[in-house]
Amino acid sequence: MSKDSSAQPADVLRPRHVGAPIKRTEDPRLLTGSGEYAADRKPDRPLHIAFRRSEQPHARLTRIDTAAAQTAPGVFAVFTAEDIAEDFKPVIPFSRMANYYATPIMPLASGKVRYVGEAIVAVVATSRYLAEDALELIEIEFEPLGTVSRSELAVAQDAPLLHEEAGTNVLIAREFKKGDVEADLKSAAVRVSGRFEMTRKAPLAMEPRSYTAEYDVRRGAITLYTSSNIPGIVRDAISESLGLPGSRLRVVAPDVGGSFGSKGSLYPEELLICIAARKLGRSLKWTADRLEDVSSSSQAFAEIVDAEMGFDENGVAVALQADVLGDVGAYSIYPWTCGLEPVQVVSFLPGPYKIRSYRGAVRGVATCKPPTGPYRGVGRPISTFVAERLMDLGAKALGLDPMEIRRRNLVCAEEFPYRIASGIIWDKTGFVECLDTAGAACGYEQLRVRQAEARSDGRLFGIGIASYAELTGIGSRIAVAPGMPINTGSETAKIFIDSTGAITAAFGVASHGQGLETTLAQIIADDLGANFADIRVIQGDSDAVPMSTGTYASRSAVLGGGAAKHASALLRDKIKRVASHLLEASHDDIEVSGGKAIVIGTDRAVTFRQVAKAVYSDMKTLPVDAREELSASYTYDPINGTTAAATHIAAVEVDPATCFVKIQKYVVAEDCGQIINPMIVDGQVHGGVAQGIGAALFEELVYDEDGQLLSASLVDYVIPSAPEVPDMDVVHIESESAVAGGFRGMGEGGTIGAPAAIANAIADALSPFDIDVNLLPMTPERIFRLIEQAKLKAKEKSE
Amino acid sequence: MKPARFEYVAPATLDAAVEALAAANGEGKVLAGGQSLLPLLNFRMARPTVLVDLNGIKDLSFIELRGDSVAIGALTRHREIEHSPLIASRLPVMSAAMRHVAHLAIRNRGTIGGSLSHADPAAELPMMAMLYGASLTVQGPGGRRTLMAKDFFVDALTNCLEPEDIVVEIEFPILQHDGWAFEEVARRFGDFALASIAISIRRDKSGIEDARVAVMGVADTPLRLENVEKQLCEIEVDSRMLDRFSELVTSSVTPNSDLHASAEYRKHLLGELAKRAMRTALAAKG
Repeated sequence: MSKDSSAQPADVLRPRHVGAPIKRTEDPRLLTGSGEYAADRKPDRPLHIAFRRSEQPHARLTRIDTAAAQTAPGVFAVFTAEDIAEDFKPVIPFSRMANYYATPIMPLASGKVRYVGEAIVAVVATSRYLAEDALELIEIEFEPLGTVSRSELAVAQDAPLLHEEAGTNVLIAREFKKGDVEADLKSAAVRVSGRFEMTRKAPLAMEPRSYTAEYDVRRGAITLYTSSNIPGIVRDAISESLGLPGSRLRVVAPDVGGSFGSKGSLYPEELLICIAARKLGRSLKWTADRLEDVSSSSQAFAEIVDAEMGFDENGVAVALQADVLGDVGAYSIYPWTCGLEPVQVVSFLPGPYKIRSYRGAVRGVATCKPPTGPYRGVGRPISTFVAERLMDLGAKALGLDPMEIRRRNLVCAEEFPYRIASGIIWDKTGFVECLDTAGAACGYEQLRVRQAEARSDGRLFGIGIASYAELTGIGSRIAVAPGMPINTGSETAKIFIDSTGAITAAFGVASHGQGLETTLAQIIADDLGANFADIRVIQGDSDAVPMSTGTYASRSAVLGGGAAKHASALLRDKIKRVASHLLEASHDDIEVSGGKAIVIGTDRAVTFRQVAKAVYSDMKTLPVDAREELSASYTYDPINGTTAAATHIAAVEVDPATCFVKIQKYVVAEDCGQIINPMIVDGQVHGGVAQGIGAALFEELVYDEDGQLLSASLVDYVIPSAPEVPDMDVVHIESESAVAGGFRGMGEGGTIGAPAAIANAIADALSPFDIDVNLLPMTPERIFRLIEQAKLKAKEKSE
Repeated sequence: MKPARFEYVAPATLDAAVEALAAANGEGKVLAGGQSLLPLLNFRMARPTVLVDLNGIKDLSFIELRGDSVAIGALTRHREIEHSPLIASRLPVMSAAMRHVAHLAIRNRGTIGGSLSHADPAAELPMMAMLYGASLTVQGPGGRRTLMAKDFFVDALTNCLEPEDIVVEIEFPILQHDGWAFEEVARRFGDFALASIAISIRRDKSGIEDARVAVMGVADTPLRLENVEKQLCEIEVDSRMLDRFSELVTSSVTPNSDLHASAEYRKHLLGELAKRAMRTALAAKG
């Protein structure tokens, strides 16, 4: 008997879009080169900007001579900080955090430079070629002030200060405490510890940062097309800085080619292009080249964590402490502050585990490097790396299987909601279910057999597990970044049916690869009862909704999706009211589905087009007071947010000859609640894991002692390509979530779980050598050195 | 990242190209496949006043058997060499090495003359020129002359050409050998080699009668290890042979450290690759 025969009539009529693997509606245009990115805008006679950037890591600007550049062919204007000083107010990344110093965001370096790549002078010319020619004619005298190349050097007594006004290079310091860590560690049966590090990394979106500012002479207005994932925040910040009301400043994120966090902060160049457009009354364009993008977009990780975990004799983790030193770069970023990444490390370090006592201290220190900022996973890739390494070290010390020690420490189904030692509350999520499902999916027992066989052949085969939990879809009760005054807890959906019966749904969320045009339309199709193909989704446009912040922190499916559900319900009700007039049926007898209002159990129906015509165009069909505009708007706030979790299991083999790591098997079991589109969820996991493989094995921004970036091109900054990314199995656990639609955010999980799982697998593979893996990326060079050291140590021991 | 201003000429003959280059007074550059030159122009690390585009000179592109050698025109694309049956049958090591030259898009445009002239110490074609003992015909204002590969590569990214010289063709002597191997390790497939070794041998009843050994990624230029070749003909093919060969190879090089690999690691890799390569080359005899 087919399932359909037992379904209710309304269910049979209503096609289910949510949960269906619908192909992304944005893909045909993006894959055929018909997308429109910020650089594709063609305003009237645009001028082009090029930036002269600092080659010095830390220096006073004693003289800038732009005379020759100003008279160079094609040059329209040249700006230094002095030239635009009266045209804006600095943007301050405020926070209520104690022990935080907010460095202002300036469009051009003023007084001194603090990292190589910082913009000092902007040249505006008729072409980018001529602008770059003119850059070479600018003379700048620098007075070097001493390089602060590493975080350990930044906190030294005699370190040069990047921001003298702060009186210290420590821009943020914070401590979390619960219980008596010292006593619990003292009484622990087993204590494990280590110094862990994840090096600096580039988010490396395929599209570099790109801005087109279109100047409207008639209104003295600017439309900024920006490759941003926070167009609403950018609009509000520039509006404030330039004193331009929203009616004369529109910010649009058109098609955006990835961000991974690097386009999730306000940038000096975004400010500068608007200042210059207004000053010159002209439309302007700037697109970062790859070198500029790698050396001036916000970067990731760069943290050293000294951590210790204590277990009782049953393998229960009782205490955890950590000291985090974050190398946050030269400036705080807007709006997230320089605390975002390092503070999240200590906030999330206890992870999905029930650890009784906890102390987590963090310092974020200024160095002569570009600022760190949000990066897919924010803080949790390294907090998971540290906690999961400690779990494995504990298992090893106690003679427990890594799977078993996690099972003994994960928060169980009946214990939710659970407040972990750092204060974060997990709502009911399938922590243990993820662990068990991943174990079953990878054939954990067989993998261990395979490992034993490999070892007896002298091969280095290892298995690594990583479990984590994250907060997603965060509402207004929790600040996304610590102490940040902007409300990031709500999003608005405005849906209307026009006089032709077509549906437009406007959002402030800003997809930059997530497929929100598809998933939001899926939700509306179901909840409004519309045809999927009739729905147009507008997003990333500050003119579309009164206020929005954008797409970040795994929030858009939860907040945008929740707003879409509520607004759809309101509009559906309006449709029913009109339809009840037209069909002469009771409101309750009408079902809306497939773009029609239908009297249940009959063939009497009106289409949305007929409904729209009756409301807008036809003067006789409806009484005047029944002609309600077919629109609805809803601002949704999930208040707290919702948890998402996963377990990753990796099996790797290390080739002792080349020291290369080959990933033999990769399994993810994840819980993102109700899946809107399984193809998109799988794609997010695949992409996230690929990036996590980059963090685990390949990617590293190397700065030398003079603050120069050595890995500044894609020849030297090595990312995984298709052959380096293995097939992976993704299993979904759709446990119920309390937010609208039951969704959980899942855009970041892949990068959170993968580095830890791969690190544990490598450590397991190298366990015959008794090697600790505490630094990522684990490059062949590093594995070679670890094996060499281990061999030397073994030799010394035997002698 | 836009190049500085330059003049562009596209001559139809080699003579005209040499003339245009000579007229540039040492400030000219030859454009062939553009796979190394264009990034250098965009970074403004190369700032020629004149760019002489060879792509219109059709008779610079050929692969032909010439007695005991295979001659290849300087403008021949990597992709053509990779797929040439003549190369596969007569220069099998080169044929195997071509698959490691960067990526498909680059192989479609990159040329052998360009790769040799660029003289990257971790590029496959310069290494093949060393292994086979290739000779390069170059043309300058004074006419044509022949240079041996061993004299051609002077330093990293440096050859012995005068600014107005253009590489015309390269002749690779065919080796009368019966075993060969090419081994390379790069961070990712298609990246520049961290270490690589190519060997070609002819065996007689007692051992190895003739050998060629070339390495790259472990010095400022690709190297042919003639000392190792000589010693190979003197050592016995026994159970210790692979280790001895590996030692001979690694003790002949002093690699540099860089961002991707330390000198020690490169040496280790080269030693491992040497064993793999010799195992393969010996197995070919059956």
